[in-house]
Amino acid sequence: MAVYRRESRRRPIIALIVVTCLALITLDNSGNGVIGTVRHTARDAIAPVQGVVSDAFNPVANVFDGVTKVHGLEDDNARLRAQVSELQGKLSRNRGVGEEYSQLARLLDIPDIEDVTGVVARVIGGPAGNFERTLTLNKGTSQGIVTGMPIVAGDGLVGKVTDASRTRATVTLIDSPGLGVGVRTEKSREQAVTQGRSGDRLLRLGFIDNPRAAIEEGELVFTAGVEGAAYPPDVPVARVVKIDRNRGELDPDIFVEPLVDLDKLVFVKALRWPPRDVAATDGGG
Amino acid sequence: MRWIRYFLLIISLVVLQTALFPSLRIWDAAPDLLLVATIAVAYERGAETGAVFGFVSGIAIDCFLSSPLGVSALAFSLVGYGVGIFQSGLVRSTRWIAPILGGLGGLVGGFLWICIASISGSEDLFTPTSFRILVIASLYDALVAIVIFPFARWASGEHEYAHR
Repeated sequence: MAVYRRESRRRPIIALIVVTCLALITLDNSGNGVIGTVRHTARDAIAPVQGVVSDAFNPVANVFDGVTKVHGLEDDNARLRAQVSELQGKLSRNRGVGEEYSQLARLLDIPDIEDVTGVVARVIGGPAGNFERTLTLNKGTSQGIVTGMPIVAGDGLVGKVTDASRTRATVTLIDSPGLGVGVRTEKSREQAVTQGRSGDRLLRLGFIDNPRAAIEEGELVFTAGVEGAAYPPDVPVARVVKIDRNRGELDPDIFVEPLVDLDKLVFVKALRWPPRDVAATDGGG
Repeated sequence: MRWIRYFLLIISLVVLQTALFPSLRIWDAAPDLLLVATIAVAYERGAETGAVFGFVSGIAIDCFLSSPLGVSALAFSLVGYGVGIFQSGLVRSTRWIAPILGGLGGLVGGFLWICIASISGSEDLFTPTSFRILVIASLYDALVAIVIFPFARWASGEHEYAHR
């Protein structure tokens, strides 16, 4: 049976907690180094235990995935087979053009994605919260992964390292709100910026140079690679899946779908970009 | 001794939240284990303890989120305080109190988190999809509360105001 209870000193305690939290939020937003050190220390301290737990419960997670996602597997399989066929065709057609471009790029000393080295890492965790799109990698600064490095997988761009401790790195995915990627479209070569939307896997293409450009559904978008860009040029990013030209509006709503399945990543590569400027320790490749 | 048990509870839940539950999402939603633990501790021990536990557990999970440090701490401590106030007016307990408090507290705590994170600079959180995830997460919280409440009761130890 419950008993009524009185507690004194409630209000000063909660007021102190609120003020402390607001101070911490303000300090973190201002880029305070002490808070960053606290985060990194906590992550490095928990990392060994996380690894053990993750490995131990991997079969459970696989069964859970199998049960909750089986209905989409057949559709995914068919869609992916079609995509592979289409891409193989494009690859064949582009081989001749690609070789000419490589020769020209070498002559003009233009950095190419093929020249970029990197660090391969394993994805060991997804976001701890419900409202962010991040991954955790099993390597950090001690293995050559530093903040700012672009992350790619086999099919294209994944995101960017936004935090790195000694043994772990956090990657913010390209469909995360607040992480824009400068891109250009495949055919019309219009420059734009991708914009993630909370809870939605599709990205919106914004800040298009020419809103009336003839962008088509199915068209690919690649990293723009302008001078000083955070990503190497010509990395595949997404495919245009929907164009909504509402009447009365100048800019169409263009939605793109990331080429990489950001929810099923196992291994990724952190690129040393730009090649001359990234100061990374020699820990992998 | 009680705070050592609370510390162990927090560490265990942080490990599970970061290493296991990202892989056990249902429609993109995962439960907020530390929020549920805060609710449980507040139910057992009252507003003051609930607020302090919420602050500490919020700081712990904030270390693993990309949002500013202090967002979860503020949301959890406010929920812990509120649940503590609520339980002090509770005349009779019920066997369903764990899932009810876990679910409702998860919903309120999640909404508070969205509001605080938005004010502190996180973008694009007030979307229909976010609220869908919030509702599913609160149902998930109600489910895990059935397991977490007994652990919180163990951590809180014996005391004269314990709910039974």
